[in-house]
Amino acid sequence: LNAAPGRAPRQHVRFLPAPDGTTGLVAARVPVLADHPLVRGPRFRRLKIGAGHRLDTKASGVFVLGIGHGNKLLTHLYNCHLTKVYTVGGLFGKATDDFSDTGNLVEKTTFDHITREKLERIVAVIQGTNHKALLMYSNIDMKTQEAYELAVKGLIRPMGKSPPIITAIRCLQFALPEFQLEIHCLHETQQYLRKIVHEIGLELKSSAVCTQVRRIRDGVFTLDDALLRTQWNLQSIRNAIWDCQLKVKTELEKTLG
Amino acid sequence: AVLRAVPGAVLGAVPRPPALHRGLAKPAGPRSVRQLREAEEAAPVFQYAGKAAKRKDRVFVWGFCYSGALGVPSFVKPDVGWKKPRRIQATPYRLETEEKISSAACGYGFTLLSSHTTDITKVWGMGLNKDSQLGFQRSIRDRTKGYEYVLEPSPIPLPLEKPQQTRVLQVSCGRAHSLILTDSEGVFTMGNNSYGQCGRKVIEDETYSESHLIHQLKEFDSRVVQVVCGQDHSLFRTKKGAVYACGWGADGQTGLGHYNITSVPTKLHGDIAGVNIIQVSSYGDCCLAVSDEGDVFGWGNSEYLQLASVTETTQVNVPRHLPFKIGKIKEAACGGTGNIVLTEEGNVFVWGYGILGKGPNLIETAVPEMIPPSLFGWSDFSPDIRVAHVRCGLSHFAALTNRGELFVWGKNLRGCLGTGRMEDQYFPWRVTVPGEVVDVACGVDHMVSMVKSFA
Repeated sequence: LNAAPGRAPRQHVRFLPAPDGTTGLVAARVPVLADHPLVRGPRFRRLKIGAGHRLDTKASGVFVLGIGHGNKLLTHLYNCHLTKVYTVGGLFGKATDDFSDTGNLVEKTTFDHITREKLERIVAVIQGTNHKALLMYSNIDMKTQEAYELAVKGLIRPMGKSPPIITAIRCLQFALPEFQLEIHCLHETQQYLRKIVHEIGLELKSSAVCTQVRRIRDGVFTLDDALLRTQWNLQSIRNAIWDCQLKVKTELEKTLG
Repeated sequence: AVLRAVPGAVLGAVPRPPALHRGLAKPAGPRSVRQLREAEEAAPVFQYAGKAAKRKDRVFVWGFCYSGALGVPSFVKPDVGWKKPRRIQATPYRLETEEKISSAACGYGFTLLSSHTTDITKVWGMGLNKDSQLGFQRSIRDRTKGYEYVLEPSPIPLPLEKPQQTRVLQVSCGRAHSLILTDSEGVFTMGNNSYGQCGRKVIEDETYSESHLIHQLKEFDSRVVQVVCGQDHSLFRTKKGAVYACGWGADGQTGLGHYNITSVPTKLHGDIAGVNIIQVSSYGDCCLAVSDEGDVFGWGNSEYLQLASVTETTQVNVPRHLPFKIGKIKEAACGGTGNIVLTEEGNVFVWGYGILGKGPNLIETAVPEMIPPSLFGWSDFSPDIRVAHVRCGLSHFAALTNRGELFVWGKNLRGCLGTGRMEDQYFPWRVTVPGEVVDVACGVDHMVSMVKSFA
């Protein structure tokens, strides 16, 4: 970044003694000495980088960062309360103390009675109860006409602090003992998602651990916008910021007005 | 000096061999990966549910407790010191039953549960029994008297000819009378008969409380397949598609062309003559019937614009066809002031007066209004959610989806909605029940649901 050409030095008018040696001053436009690169030093010594929604060490996926002045946008994006989408992989038959497959084993159970239909039924009920929580935590008076209209359009969302809420959940793959779920949620942590997998196992009269948590979408940022480890260089970062600028701006205007 | 004791040694004993060296035990460090894997493979496997595990059938109740209609005695008379009497059960509460309940009906302060079994006890009742709507419940303290309030599901003895072969198909409850439909022995009626709603002649000054009389009705043109109780009248639907009625008729709810009492079930004519009716419904003073071609017919009270689409009068005593252009109708349900129908596509339409389910602004309408399916959980993410059944209580509505979710809305009279809150609900709201709801019965201030467990 420091190697890139910076701003041109400012110019000011100074009254210098005449070059010929005669007395008097001559007005000359010279660059300001304070702007000289040797005086000023490198333009960037440190960069302020802020992080968006947290991501566990055991999880992977889209992680939004803000650089410099972009950190202000991070707070605005947080206040938009947009949903995040995760793919969560689970394994039936085991229960561990930290709900993931690397924890200490608590119990082993059978799982041959589980069918895809039972899993989908449980998943539908989870979605239903969380939908109810969505309406309750959105702090709208249920008796008004506007609450009814927002509920019809499906736009009711908590716009303040709330416990983790799952807005949509469905089963992507099911091959005993493994299964994969797609979860859309708000205000959650990855450990909460692992706990949900554990509770699904309990509800099906067996046990389950979470093998994989991967965030595939965070608000407006999807996997396509994300940069891989090999792409962490200035050019790609610049291109990524440029591509996402418009999306972020429209989303902020739409939600926060 | 010779006998000076050597510390630790007994005089004359053999000198001890040198003490065995005990190495200090090494503390157990973190187990290696191989040890962990071996421990995991050696761990015992528990089986909570086998491969052929069946889903269990359960009954959940909620609403007003003091009438005893919920069937949990500890709500009214606590059996343990720390329990307090509960006036309202605001969320679903599990009711333990001995048999699988196939049909339930809620009346005005009492409930009937029936099972499909061939055992001797097929029907249980709880709640108000001041008019013997639950039969004669012999009191334990005084063998000649009966109970006025029944707090627990108590068996109702039916005078069956073949008690170990007949099965009870369906039960229905009205304000103070109840009907029980069997498969081979007709319909049994009990309770108040001051308007002939039990299908027998009205006896002046009859005392209905502690009465042993259960009347049996068999004279219909074919086998009765559905019985429905209105507030003070009864409707019977036969296999051939005909509808019979008896009881109070001052609002025309018997549909027989007059406003008098009928004490013998009589066949209805009017617009339903010759039409094959597949479902009848009533709870207050208005009645609806659905034909096999998807048409809906109505008669009875129309003070709340229930039948205002065909007539300006407030009472209709002959069944009239309601010309709604909303599609083929599959199911209909009548409440006290509002009606609800379900079409073949799965759309729900409401009309009438009261809290209809489209927000606080819609109080009354004579023309059916559709409730948007997104309120029942339909969205782009789950597009195959459909409403499967609709039910109606006196001032609230219930809808069951094909995924087994129960939605309620309407006036929350004494906690009958089961949402956990005491406020009225102006649009469909989910009731959290731990299971898949198979059927629900709505009463005035309580509800009963039949639920299948998840796994």
